Amino acid sequence: MEKQLLRITVNNEYHELYVKPKRLLVEVLRDELELTGTKRGCNTGACCACTVLLNGVTVKSCSILAMQADGTEVTTVEGLAEGGKLSPIQRSFLDHGAYQCGFCTSGMLISATALINEKPSPTKKQIKEAIHGNICRCTGYNSIIRAIKAVAEGKYKEEE
Amino acid sequence: MGYKCPSCGKIWPDTMDLARHVFGTGDQAHKDWVNSKGLNFIELLLIQTMEPGNKGYKALAELLEKEAEKVD
Amino acid sequence: MMKKYSVINTPIHNIDGIAKITGRAEYAFDIKLPHMLYGKILRSPYPHAKILKINTKKAEGLTGVKAVVTGKDTLGIKQGIWRRFKELCDEEILARSKVRYIGEPVAAVAAVDEDTAEEALDLIEVEYESLPGVFGPLEAIKQGAPQLHEHAERNINVTRHIEWGDVDEGFKKADHVREDWFRCSSQHHVCMETHNAVASFTPDKKLTVWTSTQSHYYIQVLLSWVLGLRENDVRVISRYTGGGFGSKFELDSAQFCSSLLSMKLFKPVKIILTREEEFMATKRRTPMFYYLRTGVKKDGTFLAKEGRVFTEGGAYTSMGATALYLTGFFQAFPYVWPSYRYDGYRVYTNTAPTSAMRGFGAPQATFCAETQIDLIANDLGIDPIKIRRKNAMYPGYEVPGQATIQSCGLSQCLDKIEKWIKSQGKLPPNRGIGIAAYGFMSGGIFNWFDTPYAFSSAVIQVKIDGKVDLYIGSQDMGQGSNTTMTMICAEELGVQVEDIRLHMGDTESCPVDLGAWGSRETLMQGNAVKMAAAKAKQQIIEYAAAKLSPNIVYDLDIKDRWVHLIARPERGLSYYDVVKEAIRGKDGQPIIARGHYTPHRKGMISPAYSFGVQAVDAEVDPDTGKITLKNCVTAHDCGQVINPLGVKGQLEGAMAMAAGYGFTEDLPMDEGKILNPNLVDYKVLRATEMPETKVIEVETYEPEGPFGAKEAGEGLTNPTAGALGNAVFHATGLSIKNLPITPEKVLEALKEKKKEEKK
Repeated sequence: MEKQLLRITVNNEYHELYVKPKRLLVEVLRDELELTGTKRGCNTGACCACTVLLNGVTVKSCSILAMQADGTEVTTVEGLAEGGKLSPIQRSFLDHGAYQCGFCTSGMLISATALINEKPSPTKKQIKEAIHGNICRCTGYNSIIRAIKAVAEGKYKEEE
Repeated sequence: MGYKCPSCGKIWPDTMDLARHVFGTGDQAHKDWVNSKGLNFIELLLIQTMEPGNKGYKALAELLEKEAEKVD
Repeated sequence: MMKKYSVINTPIHNIDGIAKITGRAEYAFDIKLPHMLYGKILRSPYPHAKILKINTKKAEGLTGVKAVVTGKDTLGIKQGIWRRFKELCDEEILARSKVRYIGEPVAAVAAVDEDTAEEALDLIEVEYESLPGVFGPLEAIKQGAPQLHEHAERNINVTRHIEWGDVDEGFKKADHVREDWFRCSSQHHVCMETHNAVASFTPDKKLTVWTSTQSHYYIQVLLSWVLGLRENDVRVISRYTGGGFGSKFELDSAQFCSSLLSMKLFKPVKIILTREEEFMATKRRTPMFYYLRTGVKKDGTFLAKEGRVFTEGGAYTSMGATALYLTGFFQAFPYVWPSYRYDGYRVYTNTAPTSAMRGFGAPQATFCAETQIDLIANDLGIDPIKIRRKNAMYPGYEVPGQATIQSCGLSQCLDKIEKWIKSQGKLPPNRGIGIAAYGFMSGGIFNWFDTPYAFSSAVIQVKIDGKVDLYIGSQDMGQGSNTTMTMICAEELGVQVEDIRLHMGDTESCPVDLGAWGSRETLMQGNAVKMAAAKAKQQIIEYAAAKLSPNIVYDLDIKDRWVHLIARPERGLSYYDVVKEAIRGKDGQPIIARGHYTPHRKGMISPAYSFGVQAVDAEVDPDTGKITLKNCVTAHDCGQVINPLGVKGQLEGAMAMAAGYGFTEDLPMDEGKILNPNLVDYKVLRATEMPETKVIEVETYEPEGPFGAKEAGEGLTNPTAGALGNAVFHATGLSIKNLPITPEKVLEALKEKKKEEKK
């Protein structure tokens, strides 16, 4: 099939590229834009390792076509730290050891970021539900939950 | 004082240890030696596992007592 | 007075942390090389069949396909990790004449993209002659069962026997004897990064392989063997590994097939296994059928134990022989058994091979042993903590003919858990707290590989600015060994973590280490790093001595970048200044030191053992059988803690994986076909199912470990299934001896119980 024009803003950078209509968003991010921070763990939408923000909302980038993201703004893990400055969620993940092998971490950070953006003070239950879809085989989740909780409690507020 | 494995020559302090070695190694050479002496290697293993009382190992140790070379 | 340690026992960010949380960590999964091709593997749809003919013509004709390989393109070497034992090397990876499990590789394709390679697989014509299969060990051992391998009569692959004391006499003396039968299920590792490799063979006959592995050294050696290359013409690079858990230290189909294709094409070839392939055709935890007979005195003193095991081997040996030995050894842990006898049999079946997985036979052993101990305690009316305390291992205990226990904090762990249980007061109905005690090895002494090298080695180079280049062979797969080694180096040398630059994950520049398995890195690689750092420090101190001219009674040391007199720490020099002068004084040569560790005369299993007790508080819904975890508290002796942040993470992670083994994860099969090869139907624990976790550290000092440290992470996989089962027992009176403890099994047992009560 003929390639189509995809106009997409990723991590505040505008791109125009020609992609096959069957290409998945995750493939375009990883292969075309070389943003390999976004991982793939299952291809069935069951592990959320490929989670990115699409106009601020979480999507599994293995489960949507790249062309469905035409004209949108996407944030991947590479877009969380601005100008080399880690985001509050990232700093909290570091302090709480909320990652081990690191392969689910990008998706986990994106899910956590979306939660905090939407509900700045989530309960523990809401935190667990927000990352329910993200499989982590290393940490047992509790360090991740503690890390998000610490951000929710304002421990990582930007210094003025 | 010890007993020499008739198959590979490794020396063990008593025939029970030697029997354990023969079962534990369990390669074709060791199996063949046991079978050549009129016992069935696998039947011995199964008796050892399915029935209480260490019977398989005892039977092999008895055979080795007769057959294995004693060394000083 | 200076602090005892300036680095060790402080929570430290993983040194790879920033790379991982910014998405910059480059896994083999992410590697893309110029002119790279993509590979796919064709796998057997039959559990047992002869390969009559393979026709690759059509596939080769497809536009975009660059090469197809089959078993005919290989040297036909049957490989395995026991290089010295021919019969244990039984796996070809690309089958030539016979397939023995569903998913066994028969051909591989390289093409311009994954879609084309996938399409080409459909065009490969394989003519099979289906053979009758056998799927369980108890069937496979029967007379007349289909035989998988020519050399293995009655499909017996490996046998193991362990014995000490007079077992028969022990049973005669016993006041109470119990017999129980258990079935331990399989489990999949579910590494988030599936197996993958990028292989690049160049016309100078050198092969470079980027891959996700737990041991680049093993992969280097195994690849060179099966490909007929010189060992050091194969370079294996594994900077980051997205989880291992025991699944990534054998040669896998991605590594082998991509190398084979690249050698044919002189182009880089990348193969990533899909999640489905990962489930079907990589290794898994060994299912076991366990029989336990145990004799005790009225007061709960253990007298004799007899264990018999049949394990489902699957189609090949892989690492399974060790699981068979370890399950027997750890069946007697962590207690004093005056007599013990174990017989284990590993039986070939037409199922995916079973192998190493976190705990390596010990979680199965611990589940059966700890379940039975609670039943015995219940029979005799003894408190579960008391019966365990009465028989607990202690420092200095010798496991006859097997091992010497040096440090052992088991009884302190029991005290802590007892205190916690008491603090919980009376529980509501259908709630129960179960406990399980465990021990584990701290570095397996298994030289199955017959390596001529030291088990672990490290090299240090100190540069002019005081920066330390540390070269290690161990592999970080998430467990945090990179950080642990950096901390050990910094502590011993007397600098800070920021002063160390770590080099790992590359056979070209790193000294040999056997890899991340058997909980060996902290102790073995840690000792090697510590030795290298001590030697480097010695060289620096020699230069400082001239300046500080200490009296003979003053020894020098370095701590936190301060070279000083131990007795008068205020008298000293900056580490940076001394290093500069030392290098100048050495005619400009950097300071170089080496360290190594190989266990000598340390028993059969390990130089040291970790211990712990875990309590699981669970609720059982009597209407649905559903189990909800409420709390999980673990008292844990891992010797001196190196990185508290790392230990906590390991503990919680092990608990989540082990709880999955206990009640949610399983690999049901139909005639050798795994029925749930995806993450929707295979139930790993999710965040919403995690209980509250609490870790109580019981610190001991292990003389064999670096700074007194032992393993922390793998052993923690052992207790949870047993503790969970015991919690269900105390909540409902039901003892379920068949893993996993699913709602269906609980409901079934409840129904049975009601029937019994009516009678």
